[in-house]
Amino acid sequence: MTTFPRAERRAPSDVLLAAVDRLTVEVRGPSGPRILEDVGLTVRAGEFVAVVGPSGCGKSTLLRAVAGLLPPSLVAAEGSSVQVATDRGRRDVAWMPQRDGLLPWRRAWSNAMLGAQLAGRDVGFARTRAAELFERFGLAGCERRWPHELSGGMRRRLALVRTVLADRRLLLLDEPFSGLDALTRRRMNAWLRSVDLVGTGSRGGAVVLVTHDVDEAVLLADRVLVMAGPPGRVVECVPTDGADAEEARARLLALLGG
Amino acid sequence: MTRRVLLPVTTVLGLLLAWEATVRVLDLAPFVLPAPSRVAQAAIRSAPVLPGHVATTLSEAALGLVLGAAAGTVLALGVVLRPRAGDALEPLVLLTQTVPTVVLAPLLILWAGFGLLPKVLLVALTVFFPVFVSATSAMRSADTDLLDVVAGLGGGAREQLLVVRLPGAVAGAAAGLRVAATYTVGAAVVAEYLAGQSGLGVYIQRSRKAYAVDQVLVGVIVVALLTALLVGAVVLLERSVTPWRPRARGRIPAGAPG
Repeated sequence: MTTFPRAERRAPSDVLLAAVDRLTVEVRGPSGPRILEDVGLTVRAGEFVAVVGPSGCGKSTLLRAVAGLLPPSLVAAEGSSVQVATDRGRRDVAWMPQRDGLLPWRRAWSNAMLGAQLAGRDVGFARTRAAELFERFGLAGCERRWPHELSGGMRRRLALVRTVLADRRLLLLDEPFSGLDALTRRRMNAWLRSVDLVGTGSRGGAVVLVTHDVDEAVLLADRVLVMAGPPGRVVECVPTDGADAEEARARLLALLGG
Repeated sequence: MTRRVLLPVTTVLGLLLAWEATVRVLDLAPFVLPAPSRVAQAAIRSAPVLPGHVATTLSEAALGLVLGAAAGTVLALGVVLRPRAGDALEPLVLLTQTVPTVVLAPLLILWAGFGLLPKVLLVALTVFFPVFVSATSAMRSADTDLLDVVAGLGGGAREQLLVVRLPGAVAGAAAGLRVAATYTVGAAVVAEYLAGQSGLGVYIQRSRKAYAVDQVLVGVIVVALLTALLVGAVVLLERSVTPWRPRARGRIPAGAPG
């Protein structure tokens, strides 16, 4: 197992950032199949939650429901409740898609600034912060490049910078490193862990990371939500913070394997 | 490189030689099919009068192109921004295209006189449609991933339009413009056939009446060259408004993992 020291010990506060309760999502239509069934998820400020599960178990749909991005073809059934902290009338979340979603007609720098721009953040402050993040995310010197001139790993990091610069309290990361080769992934994970996203932001935030990689989940998260499906449902919640990482990993693998 | 230049040049030279030989062997009359050498002589003979005709036709084509492209883009914007107006207008726009613009030429001349205006209008009418269609479809079919990214960072419909749909439409309109540019000189020439004192259409028509087939062929070649010139200019324009497009042959689709 990789051993990276955690930046600091995180203690979840009692500030609720997202509360999903009995969420059932169906394909719109008279007998549409269920994508999610009775899913619950609570995220407090200061937490890093990972959601793992096999492909097609509705992980991404859960994340989209929290972000308010359910596609028009899906509908939340009656009795579902998704409550998310707000910031000036908008959901206090920043969502990062599976593919990087960079705008091909914007250079790296202005792609990164998109988050701050859309969230209406102070431009001067965002610039200072962006310069600092480019440095820390290994993107310094690439500010003027077009997205297609960046490597896969750089594109993901740039997308992450964009998401962080929105300065929202809840970051929703949908398989941010899928499709990268194993080596790049490992480096991205090690690096993501050193960044400590939960600590960034002025008011204390939280991260929900969707992944199908158990090692990634154990390495980064404080607790791991295991899902199964379809229809997607939560099987168990495994704490990884404090507990022996190897034990948590074995337990997750057993849950996913069974 | 040699293959891409040498082969087409040899083909063209070969064809010209075959043409020349056929005319000489069969002893064809010059008012049926003049030999290339005769056409070359006619070109030299016409050299003093050609620049004036070229200037007229080129200004008609260029003005019409600008006018038609502007009208097509503005209307496309209107149709996408105000869907209700779009529903009312779109069938009308389609209906105008069931009438070939060339058929409208006599009417335009009747209403707008014998000068530059009816020709510019005819070119504009021809250009308008491909630009309108490609700009509307580019705005409507904006990458849903990119739209979701904007929404997932807290942007609304307005931000989606400004950040994703409009820049995408520029690329779409430019592609439509390239198609439209190929029609412009032809449309101007057809309008000149019907009325006018100057222009390549007038030159061709006069030559035909004098049975100077060699001059008609000179006109045809000049029309082809002008069309190529305009298309080349539009391609340069397209590149300058979409500098983010990878220059390599074969485009990388937006958002593809790099």
